[in-house]
This record gives sequence, structure tokens and C-alpha cells, in this order.
Amino acid sequence: MFRHYLLTAYKVFMRRKLFTAINLLCIVLTLVVLMVVTALLQNTFYPTGVEGKSERFVQMIMMESTHTEKTARRQGTLGYKLIDQYLKPLKNAELVAATSFPQSVSIYQEGRVSDQLMRLTDAEYWQILDFKVVSGRVINADDVAQGRMVAVLNESTARKLFPGQPYLGQKFSANGQTFTVIGVVQDEMHVNAFADIWTPISAQPSSDYKNNLFGGFGAIIMARQPEDLPALKKEIMEAAKRVQFDDPNFFNTARFWGDSKLALFSRTLLSSRAEDGDAGTLLTIIVVLMLLFMALPALNLINLNVGRIMERSSEIGVRKAFGATSRQLIAQLVLENVLLCLIGGAIGLAGAAAVLWWLEGSGIIPYLKVHLNLTVFGYGLLITLVFGVLSGVIPAWKMSRLAPVHALKGNA
Amino acid sequence: MLRHLLKLIWKRKSRNMMLSLEILLAFLVVFAIVAFGLRYWQLYQLPTGHDWKNQWSVSIRAAQDLPNDPAIYDQLKRGLLDLPEVESVAFSSFGTYEMSRWTEEYTLPDGSHELTIDGMGVSDEYFATMGMRVAQGRFFSSMDDNADAAPAVINRRLADKWFPGKNPIGQLYVQQTRGKSEGQRYRVTGVVEQFRSHGEYMDPVDFMLSRWIPGVGKEAANNIMLKLRPGTPRIFEARLNARLKQIRNDWTYIITTQADARASMLKTQTIPLVILAVIAAFLLVMVAFGLFGVLWQNTTQRIPEIGLRRALGADAGAIYRQIIAEQFLLSTGAMLIALLLLVQLPLTGVFGETLNWAVFGGAAVLSASVIYLLSLLCSLYPGWRAARLSPTQALHYE
Repeated sequence: MFRHYLLTAYKVFMRRKLFTAINLLCIVLTLVVLMVVTALLQNTFYPTGVEGKSERFVQMIMMESTHTEKTARRQGTLGYKLIDQYLKPLKNAELVAATSFPQSVSIYQEGRVSDQLMRLTDAEYWQILDFKVVSGRVINADDVAQGRMVAVLNESTARKLFPGQPYLGQKFSANGQTFTVIGVVQDEMHVNAFADIWTPISAQPSSDYKNNLFGGFGAIIMARQPEDLPALKKEIMEAAKRVQFDDPNFFNTARFWGDSKLALFSRTLLSSRAEDGDAGTLLTIIVVLMLLFMALPALNLINLNVGRIMERSSEIGVRKAFGATSRQLIAQLVLENVLLCLIGGAIGLAGAAAVLWWLEGSGIIPYLKVHLNLTVFGYGLLITLVFGVLSGVIPAWKMSRLAPVHALKGNA
Repeated sequence: MLRHLLKLIWKRKSRNMMLSLEILLAFLVVFAIVAFGLRYWQLYQLPTGHDWKNQWSVSIRAAQDLPNDPAIYDQLKRGLLDLPEVESVAFSSFGTYEMSRWTEEYTLPDGSHELTIDGMGVSDEYFATMGMRVAQGRFFSSMDDNADAAPAVINRRLADKWFPGKNPIGQLYVQQTRGKSEGQRYRVTGVVEQFRSHGEYMDPVDFMLSRWIPGVGKEAANNIMLKLRPGTPRIFEARLNARLKQIRNDWTYIITTQADARASMLKTQTIPLVILAVIAAFLLVMVAFGLFGVLWQNTTQRIPEIGLRRALGADAGAIYRQIIAEQFLLSTGAMLIALLLLVQLPLTGVFGETLNWAVFGGAAVLSASVIYLLSLLCSLYPGWRAARLSPTQALHYE
């Protein structure tokens, strides 16, 4: 039976080649857009590569400080003292890294100024994130302890600053300090990994940063295994209750949360104070937006399908007259549509790969590297099926409702 | 004729309804993009109220909060003016063409007309440095040193809101406070036509520039604005940075030319529009294909009917016109419904000034033309195909 349906579908597709082509084009265009979006989201929230251990770590960039009796509220980045005193001793944490956010620095070379993004890190940062070292080495605990003026560059920056020269051992001046290049790593575009230049946290003109509860840093906290994450998150929220402020008259209550990538994003976007950062709400919003985006192409496909099915009204009349139920007819017509969508999905996947390849090369998003993995393929398939059923059901239902007499005569 | 066409459309209402729905959705998408674009164009035409061509900004970063120490600011000013390229030096709480914003609530002295106002603290030299022109009154200066209230320069929009029909110069207003303490009193010394610190694409807001004096008050100025001699090369940045480092070595200075800051600001603000436009283009291409397909199927199905008309004496042109006119009627209907929905937006004022009537009208006309053009293009070929058939062929068409 199934083979029969497939054969009929094939014959129908071939009979009206132009229509099939138009149909297919619409499907491919829609699916390419959806798959590119899915791939980008997947890559952002469930990355592989440099932040591949993300199922084991949580991130923290904000803390909220309030006073029980006053209205003042501060929401801002963490200070090094907070990370050092309250986060490093966490029992469920294997490693706790402190890193500043990438800040723009100007590098002056003979007759040239280049703007680069610099990140201050400690040694744990390099143990949590898996950078691919191209040459030299990354920052280690010794560099941080000694406050050595060393720097790690990424490939693009190294090429830009020292074209045609060996990179290691080069000196450059930024923020009025001179750094020596000790290593070059591959370009990376991820929330925690993104930067052009990395230097030790201690390579600053003053060590005032060590005494600040507020300002300039984020933390990455890695558990020993993914199963420990819920306990770690609990422990982090508990730690917030112990925070002692420098001036208890101003603030006396701190709140912070360890977040997965998705939760961090939704917490920032929705300024959420929920335990899970309202990640579910964000996911719902994304899915609804995608469905909305699908509405127009789906409607378009419905219109095309209605036309195509109408042409086959006599065929459907015959089948009805010989006792086919409405359900069987709907199944057949939806199947045909899903089949077309699957073909479109396959082409769309190739198209999405091409678009992503172009996006990586174009430099619109710097250092972007997207891997079209099995998960993205799975999501793509799911999107395709939803789209196929969405656009196939209405025309099929409409057709199957026809009275056999009218259908046989071909005047629906 | 029109009644006839409407009747034909009504006869096929269920199919036409789906088609109309599609056109309606497409119209909404085009409208959104066009309205967005038109608003940006409108904003771009408005003056920003400050220059950018020879202005540079230096943002100061330090591990601790900056101290408001008059000696340091005096050193900075002298040290920078020593450089031959520097024409003028001013201090401000933040730079222009930056995403920063500072808002506070203010009222008139009697506590009425509470407004949330964007503010920026600037030193006396700021106006000359930024090439600003006063529309009414004067900019504040050392003349205001012993005034009873803090001097402030406000923009025209705020002046019209608070003092309509009155001379705004010399009027008082106060900072709103939640506690018992008295808020700071301000006296308007001057009015500028416009001041938009984020640049060309910033929505006009109520803006006030208050006077910042080195050593007075707790807040330090985090930003230095410089006016340089025209034609100063970018590499001057290295010498500028060296000079700043001589004055305070433990601070970090982020130097940006306003021309660069402006370019990157404009780019950042147009990115959403570009992304939306690309997606909309995708959708429109799809709608065009769909419309084309559906119209073609429709005309194919109606060939016997068309044959009858031809046999009764209608010429090819009449058939052509009928197909196109039917499609136009359908599009018009769909767009009227869409406009009926859309007109609620400016009526209820959900988007405030962003979707004003000029933008709404322009967007409606432009997006309607896009949809009409699309309908015309999509019905040309099916119309031609139907009109080409001779009556005998058409009547016998199976």
C-alpha cells in the first residue's frame, strides 16, 4: 500500500513539473532559513569544541545587590573578591575561573593603530575551555601568580599584528603596558571564549581588583560531572546568602545564580530572577516565533496544494466510490506532501550548509564556526515534518470531504 | 463590470479566502519593514545637535571609581591643550555615539508635570567643543557660578512640554526625590533645538545638559571630549594616549574618533533592519511563486469559462484585463482588512512617536504598491496564457 502511495506521489509530481518545482522552491527557501537559525541557536546554546564541556559548567555574569529596608538595587558584574571568597571554595565545583569581559584596547605599532578586544583571565579559564593551541602555550598558574606580562593571541589577530613574522616572543604595547606573545590559539566565537587577546588577570597596573566585590568579572564554575550541576546551582544560591558587603548600610542582600548558556541568555534578556532563569519561557518564545515565520510559507503551500489536489478530484472520486475512507485519503495526501517536504528538507540542508559556509567566510559574525551536526539534522527533520503536516492537512481534509458524485464529475 | 468581478470572486470564496489571507500576511510583513525603514529615514533627517567630524572622545576606565579631583581635571585639560592638534577640551559624564543613557525624574517647582528626562553632565567648554548652537538664551558658563539654582540647557521638545507658550529661559524645575530631602533645583539658561546623544537613529527624547564643575559634587566625569584641528591623522591617537598616560598612568583610556563611533553606531542600528529585510525578501519571493502558481491553476481551471466569453465576442485584451482586475480586487480587499487592523496601532499609540501618521501613511502607500506590483507580475503570464487561447480551443479544453 505504502509503495503504491509513493508511486502515485511520484507520478503526480512528475506530471506537473513546474508546479513541483515551485512547491519545492518554497519549501527549500523556508527550510533553509529555519535550519540556519536552528544551527546558530544550537551552536550558541549547546556548543561543541572550545566550550564543549558546557554541560558540566555554569556561568555567572551578574549579581543583584539589594537592601532589606531600602529601595536601591544594583545589578552588575562580579568583583574578583566575590569569586575568590565565595565561589572558589564551593564543594561541588572542580574548577572556578574568573575572567573579565572583552574590552577594546588600542595597539600602537609604527604608524598603525589597531583596535582589539582583550580579556583578562586566570589559569583555570584555560583548563575549563578547550582552546586549540596553534603554537606556544596558554596562560598557566605560574604566569598569574607572578603577574607576568604575557599574552595569548588568536590566529587572526596574530596575523594582523605581525604579518609574515614569527608570532612567538613578539612584543606589543596595549594600555601603556608591554606584553610578550607566548601562544597563539584558534579563533573562537563563543560567549566565554570570544576575544582577540588574552592576558593574565594579574597583569594590571594595580592590584586593586582583588579587593572589589563589584565590577568587571564573570565566573565559570565547573562541576566534576554533569550530574552534579543541580547540587552546584543550589550551593551557589546558598553562597549568595553568606556575602558580606563592605558597607552593610548600603546593601545587605546579594543574589546570584549559576546558569547554563540558555538560562544565562534568557536571564539577561528577560531580566529574570527565577531559579532556572525562565529558560522555558525563552524556548517557548523562540518556537512561537519560528511557527509564526512558518505561517506565511505554509499558507502559500496550502494554496498551491489545494489547486493541485483539485485537479485530482476525479481520482479521489473513484477511490471514494470504491470505499476508501476519508482518513485513508487524508493519510495519502498528507504523505505525499510530507514526501515533498522531505525532498525539500534534504535540499534545504545542503542550502543551509552553503549559507553557513558563506556566513563564516563573510565575517559578518567574527570567528564564527558552525558545525552542522546530527542534532541540527534531527531538528531540521522535525521542522520539515511539522511544516509538511501543517501545510498538507487542510487541503487533504477539504478534498476528502467531497461527496463522491461531485468529485467524480470533477466539479468540486 | 465591478459588480460582475466581485460576484466571480465571491463564487470562489473559500479558495479566495486562503489567497487573501496569504496576501494579508505578506502585506503585514512588508508594512512592518517599510515602516521601520521610513522611521529610520525620518530620524536620519533630524539634526543631532552636535558635530562629529573633528571630535574625539576619550573614555576613562579605572579599577576604582574616579575621584572628582579638580587638580587632575586641570592637569588633563592643560596637558591636552598643550598638544598642537587639540583645539578644545571638555568633560562630560559619557560620550556621544555611545549606548550610555542616564535618566532621572523631574517636576516643575510646584510638584506637577513629572517627566523622566535623559540627562548628561557637561563642563562649560562642552558646547564649543561639540559645535552646538543655542536656539534661545545662552549656554551656561562661569557667569552662573553663584546662581541660586543649578544652570541647565534643555532641548526644544522638553521646553515645549513644560513651558508651552511661555519663555522657557529663567524657568525653574526640580529633581524628584523619594525621600524627605529636597531635590536639586535647576534654572533653564538656554534651549537647543535638538540633542540626540546616540546619534542619527536615536528617537528624540526630553534632554537636559546640566553643568558639571571639576571638584564640585561627588560624581566625576568619565569622558573627555576633544575637538581637533581638521585633518588630524588617526595615528595621533598614539601621542594622545602617551600624553594621557603621563598624566595618570594607572587609568586606561579608550580613544575613539567620533567619525568611527558614528559609523559603527549607524551600522549596529541598521543590522536589525537588514536582517528583517533579508527575511522579508525571502518571504516575498515565496509569496510571488505561490501567487503565480495559484493564478496559473485558477486560469487553467477556468479555461472553458474564458472560452465562452471569447465565443461571445470578448477580445484577448478583455480577458487579460479581467484576470488582472480580479487579482487586484482580491489584493485590495486583503489590504483593506490589513490596514483596518494596522490603523489601530497609531490610533492606540502603542508605538508612540515611532509609528506616527507620516510613517504610517508612507508605509501603507509603499507596501500597497509592492503588493500591487507583485500581483501584476504574477498575473501577467497566466493572463496572457488564458487570453492567447482561441475560443474553439478554449471551449474544448479538457
